[in-house]
Amino acid sequence: MRNRRALALAALLASAVVLVGCARDTGTTPPAAGGDAAAGECARNPAPAAAGGAAATAVPALPNADASALKVGLAYDIGGRGDGSFNDAAAAGLEKTIAELGVVKENTKELAAAVNESEDAAATRLRQLVAEGYNPIVAVGFKYATALGTVAAESPDVRFAIVDDSTVEAPNVTPLIFAEEQGSFLVGAAAALKTQACSVGFIGGVEQPLIQKFQAGFEQGAKAVAPEIQIDSTYLSPAGDFSGFNDAAKGQVVATGQFDGGADVVYHAAGASGQGVFQAAKAAGKSAIGVDSDQYNVPAYADVKDVILTSMLKRVDVAVFDYVNAVAAGDTSTLPEIFDLSVDGVGYAVSGGKVDDIATDLDAYKAAIISGQITVDTEPTS
Amino acid sequence: MPESEFAVELAGITKRFPGVVANDDIALRVRRGQVHAICGENGAGKSTLMKILYGIQQPDEGTISVDGAVVGFRSPSDAIKAGIGMVHQHFMLADNLTVAENILLGAEALHGIGGGARKRIAELAHVVGLETDPGVLVESLGVADRQRVEIVKVLYRGARTIILDEPTSVLVPQEVDELFDTVRGMRAEGFTFLFISHKLDEVRAIADQITVIRRGTSVGTADPRTVTTRQLAEMMVGSELPSPQTRESTVTDREVLRVEGLELAGDGGGCPLLAGVDLVVHAGEVLGIAGVEGNGQTELVEAIMGIRRAGGTVVVGGRDVSRASTLARREAGVGYIPEDRTRYGLLATQPLWANRMLGYQSRPPVARGGFLGLLDRGAARRDTERIIAEFDVRTPGPDVAAAALSGGNQQKLVVGRELSGDPVLLIASHPTRGVDVGAQAGIWDVLARARARGLAVLLISADLDELIGLSDSIKVMFRGRLVADADPSTVTPEQLGSAMTGAATTGAATTGAATTGAAGTATATTDAGATGTHRRAHPGQGAR
Amino acid sequence: MKRIRSVLLPPALAIVFAALLCAVALVISGDSPLTALGAMITQVGEGTTAVDIINSGAIYYVAALAVAIGFQMKLFNIGIEGQFRLAACVAAIVGGALVLPPVIHTIVIILVAAAVGALWAGIAALLKAYRGVSEVISTIMLNFIATGLIAFLIRRDTFGLLQGNNISTAPIPESGRFPGISFGSSGTIFGMVFVAALLGVGYWYMLGRTRFGFELRASGESPTAATAGGVDARRMVIIALLLSGAVAGLVGIPELVGRDFAYTLTSPQGYGFTGIAVALLGRNHPVGIALGALLWAFLDKSALALDNVGVPREIVLIMQGSVVLSVVVAYEIVRRYELAAEQRRVSAQLRAVPVPEQQEVRS
Repeated sequence: MRNRRALALAALLASAVVLVGCARDTGTTPPAAGGDAAAGECARNPAPAAAGGAAATAVPALPNADASALKVGLAYDIGGRGDGSFNDAAAAGLEKTIAELGVVKENTKELAAAVNESEDAAATRLRQLVAEGYNPIVAVGFKYATALGTVAAESPDVRFAIVDDSTVEAPNVTPLIFAEEQGSFLVGAAAALKTQACSVGFIGGVEQPLIQKFQAGFEQGAKAVAPEIQIDSTYLSPAGDFSGFNDAAKGQVVATGQFDGGADVVYHAAGASGQGVFQAAKAAGKSAIGVDSDQYNVPAYADVKDVILTSMLKRVDVAVFDYVNAVAAGDTSTLPEIFDLSVDGVGYAVSGGKVDDIATDLDAYKAAIISGQITVDTEPTS
Repeated sequence: MPESEFAVELAGITKRFPGVVANDDIALRVRRGQVHAICGENGAGKSTLMKILYGIQQPDEGTISVDGAVVGFRSPSDAIKAGIGMVHQHFMLADNLTVAENILLGAEALHGIGGGARKRIAELAHVVGLETDPGVLVESLGVADRQRVEIVKVLYRGARTIILDEPTSVLVPQEVDELFDTVRGMRAEGFTFLFISHKLDEVRAIADQITVIRRGTSVGTADPRTVTTRQLAEMMVGSELPSPQTRESTVTDREVLRVEGLELAGDGGGCPLLAGVDLVVHAGEVLGIAGVEGNGQTELVEAIMGIRRAGGTVVVGGRDVSRASTLARREAGVGYIPEDRTRYGLLATQPLWANRMLGYQSRPPVARGGFLGLLDRGAARRDTERIIAEFDVRTPGPDVAAAALSGGNQQKLVVGRELSGDPVLLIASHPTRGVDVGAQAGIWDVLARARARGLAVLLISADLDELIGLSDSIKVMFRGRLVADADPSTVTPEQLGSAMTGAATTGAATTGAATTGAAGTATATTDAGATGTHRRAHPGQGAR
Repeated sequence: MKRIRSVLLPPALAIVFAALLCAVALVISGDSPLTALGAMITQVGEGTTAVDIINSGAIYYVAALAVAIGFQMKLFNIGIEGQFRLAACVAAIVGGALVLPPVIHTIVIILVAAAVGALWAGIAALLKAYRGVSEVISTIMLNFIATGLIAFLIRRDTFGLLQGNNISTAPIPESGRFPGISFGSSGTIFGMVFVAALLGVGYWYMLGRTRFGFELRASGESPTAATAGGVDARRMVIIALLLSGAVAGLVGIPELVGRDFAYTLTSPQGYGFTGIAVALLGRNHPVGIALGALLWAFLDKSALALDNVGVPREIVLIMQGSVVLSVVVAYEIVRRYELAAEQRRVSAQLRAVPVPEQQEVRS
C-alpha cells in the first residue's frame, strides 16, 4: 500500500490528475496507513491526490542579511519567555537571529505582559522599547493591537511587527499572522489516522476566535480522514477569561474526561494547560497532540513526551526570524501575507517518530491544502 | 494541708482595661473554709477581678497567691490546676448533652469516662445536692439544677476554692435559700467560696467576710455579723443608698398602649415564646412585668417595638401599629430603653451625638428632612449637650465615643435620648441594670417625673425591689404568658418570686391575682402546665 | 490634629513597613532597592505614565468606592469584578447600537452601566435579604456567571464583531464618547476622572450628612442597635448592595468612553479585586481611598520600569500585598489604642471630679 501511495505521489509530481484513491468506496477502504489496529469501525478516506507542483517544501528562503546593527525589542504576551509555547517560539526566533543574522545579544530586549493589565500598560511597554532605541520591535500577541496602533503612530520611524494580528493599519507595522487552521487540519488528520477508537478530542484554552481556528482545522482534518469520527471539543474557559491558558489542573480534568469518554487522541490548543492534557494522556495510556512549539522537545514536557504524537507547529520563530531578516535587508514586503503551510509557517512535528508511518498521507493532505484543493475553515462548523 | 491560712490572696491588683471600670490596687485575702463575699455595684470591677483570679485576664500589676504561694495564671486551666473554679453568671453548659457529659467534657483525663467518672460524679452530686440523674439532658433542667451542675463541674476538676459570680441573679428567692444551704454544707466540708454579689441582704446572709469594691478599688472589709445593709451600701456607693419610692398614683384612664393576643411561635416549633399576651398601659401609669429571665419578656418588648414580627395587635395612642415598622412605632411616640444597651442601644465607636441620632434619624431635631434625608449634625450635637446636662451624663463632651463612657453614663444617655421628642410611651427593659447607684437613682427619678407628666411606662426588670417600687401595677410573666397580677403596694418580693416560678400554691398567694377573672384563669392554666415538668431556664436565650 | 494623626499615621507606617519588606526582598535577590525605587519614580515622568496613573487611579477609586459602600455596613461585595465587566459590556453594546446626540449619548451609556451593575448586585442583594445567602458566596458565583454571560454577549453570533483575532462590540460612535483633557504626547486624562471625583464627594456627603448614610454606618457598627433604632436591616442590605453595584457598574466606563470605545476580549479585568485592596487601604474614607488608589496606580504603572533595570516586577506585588496587610493591622492597632486612650482620658477627667471619700474600713 505504501508503494501504491508512493506511486500516486510520483504520479502527482508528474502533474497527472490521478483519481485512484478518490474513486474508492470508503466503506471498503482497508485501514489507512497508520491503522495498525482493529479500526474497522472507523471508516477512513484515503488521502487526496492533489494537484502537482504544490509541494510545500519549496519555501523561497531569503538569504540571511546582516542584522548586527539592529536593536531588536520583543514584547511578549502574558507568560513571557518560558511558557513552553507561544512566547517561547518567538524567543526561539530571536535566538536564531542572534545565531544566524549577527544580532548582538546585548542589543535585544524582552519584556512581558502582566495578567489583567490595562491597555495603557501595553502602550507603555512598547514606548519603553521605542525610547531605548529598539528598532524593530515585535509585539507578540493580538492584545497589543490597540496599543501598537497608538505607539506606531507616535513613532513613524520605528518598525514594528505584531504576531497574530492584522488589524493595525500603519505603514511601519508588519502583521505576522498564521494559518493555524491549516496546521491543525494536518494534526486532525493525523489524529484520525492514529485513533483506534474512532474518537478524538480537542481542548481549547479559551473559547475565542484564534483558538476556534485550531478547533475548526482539527475537526475538518479529522473528518476528512474519517467522516464518521467522534470529535469531542471542549474549552477550558469562556471568552474573556484567560485562565484557560494557564490551568494545567483543569486541562488534566477535561482531558481525562475526554479519554474516559472514548477518545484516544486529544489535541490541545491551551498553552500551559497542555501540561495537564499530557499528564492525563499518560495516565490513561492514550495519546495527545501538542501545539505551537514542537512540544516533544520542550524540556518541561520531557517526562510526558512519549504520549506526544505530534505537535501542530505555529512557526512564530520563523516569522520573527524572517521579519528581522527582512528588516535587515531593508524590505519587509518579501514577507508572506500569512504564514501558512505553503511557506512552512505552520506544520506538524515529526519528533519522536510517531507519525512517520502516516507521513505520506499527511503530506498528501498538505499538498492538497497548498494547492487549494482543500480549503480549511477558520470557524468551527458545529 | 498547706500552711497558709489564706486560700487566696490578691495584692495590689491593677488592671488597665479598656472597659467600664479598671481594677486599681485591689487587695483581697480569703480565708480557707470561708465564704468570702465581694460586694460592689455593677461595674465596680468585681467581674474583672474574678477574671484575673481565674486566669481569663492577666493583671498589669499585683500578685495572686494561692495557699501562700505566688502564682501566675496565664489561662483558666492554670487556675483550675491551682484548685480554683468558677461558676459564671451565665452558665456554660451544652443543652444537648447530658449532665454527666457536661461535667466530663474537657476533663476526660481525670477519671476517664467510665465507672470511675460516674462514681466521682455521684459523690460530688451528693455534696452539692444535685438530685437529678446524671443521664438526663441539661436542657430539661431548671436553673437551680443547672447551677449545681456547674458547681459539680468545677469540683470535678479539683476545685477547692469556688468563685460564684452573681449566682443569685437568675434565681428566685426560694432557690436562693436552697443554694445557700448547699454552700453552707460545702463550707463545712472545707471548701472556700468567693461570692460575688451586689445584693446586700444575700451577702449578709451567707458570707463570713465581706470585701467591698468601689470604682475599681477595694475600699475595705466588713464583718457580716455586725455590719448593716445600709452601712454596706454606703461603703459600696460612698453615699446614701436611694430606693425606689411608691408615690401617689398618677394613673389616668387614657390608654396609651393596648396589646391584644400577642403570639410568637418558638424557634424550631418549641413552646411558644409569647402566647396570648394582653395588656394595657395608661398615661401616667407604670406597668411592671415580673418574671424569671427568659420567660418571654424580651420577646414581648421586641414584639411591641416591631423588632420581631408577632401575631396580635399593638395599639399605641389609639393608632394600630401592629404592622408598622420599628421606626414608625418610634415616630408614633414610643421610646425604648433596651435591656442590653451595648448591643441594642448604642453605637460603641460613634460619638455621643451620633448616638443621639439613632432612632431619631427621621425626626427633628436630628432630621432636616428633604429628598435626601439630610441630617442636622449641629442640632444633634446641641441636643446631646442638653441630654448631658439634663441627665447628668459624665462625659468630657458630646464628641467622645460611646464606649468610652461608664455603663451608668451610657445608660443615662440612652434614657435621655429615649425621653427626647416627647414620647407617649416608654418601654424600659432593665433600665438600671449594670449602672452605679448614683445613676440608678437618677434614672428612677427621671422615670418618676416622666410618669407624673403623663408618660406611660412598660417596665421590665429582674430587680424585684425596683419593680415593686416603681410600678403602679405588676403582671407576672411565665413561659410567654401573663399568669398573674400583683399589687405593688402589698406584694412582697417573695410572693412575686413564687409567682414567677409558676408554682401552683404560690400563684394564688400573689396579692391581687384574683382581682380580675382573666388573670385568675391565666394562673390556673399555667398551674396545670407547670405540674410535673421541669422549669426551663432560658427558653428565649438562643434567640437573642 | 490628633484625628489627622490617627488617620495618617497607620498608612504611613504601613507603607514604610511594606517598603522595607520589599527592600529586604530585593537585597536578598541581589538587586538594589534604590535603583528600583529610582527607576519607578523616574518612570512617572516618562511618556504617558503620569496620566496613566491618574486615569487608573480614578478607575481604582470608583471600584474602591463601590467596595466601601458595602464595607460601611459590613457587606463584602466581592462581585465588583463581575458587576463592572458585565456593565461595561452591556453599556458598550447599547452605546454602540444607539444613535443619540452627544452628551445625551454618553449619559445614557453611563446610566446603562450603573443600572446593569446595580441589577447584577441586586441579585445578591435579594438573595441576602430574603434568603440569607451570604453576599460573599453569591457575588463570587455571580462573577463566574458574568464571565459566561459576557462571553455569550460578545460571540460573533450575538453582538461581537471579529477584529483580527480579537472580538469586539460595535464601536461607540463619536457622540457617545467622553472627551478628556489632552496633554499631547503625555496622554489624555479621561473626562470620567472628574466624574470619579464627584462620586467621591457624593459618597462623603451621603455617608456623613444623610439619613441613609447614618443608617448605613449604624447597621455596620451594630446591626442590633440599628434595628432597635428603627433601621430596616433588610432594606439597608438591598439599598447598600444596589448602590455598591451601581457604582461598580461605572468602573469600566472611563476606559470605555475615554479610550477603547468598545468592549473586547482583552478588555481589562481585575479592577474589582484591586478595588477591595484600595478600599482596605483607604479605610473606606473618601480621601483615604483616593490616596490609596493613586498609590496603587503608581505602583502598577511604575512597575513597568522595573523591567528596564532588571528588577523582577513581582516586587510590586509584594509591595501591594504587604501594604494592604500592614495597613489593616496598623489601623486595628491604632484603633484599639485610641479607644483605650479615650476611655482612660474620660475616666481620668471624671475622676478629677470630686469623688467621695476613698477609704473606709468597717467591721
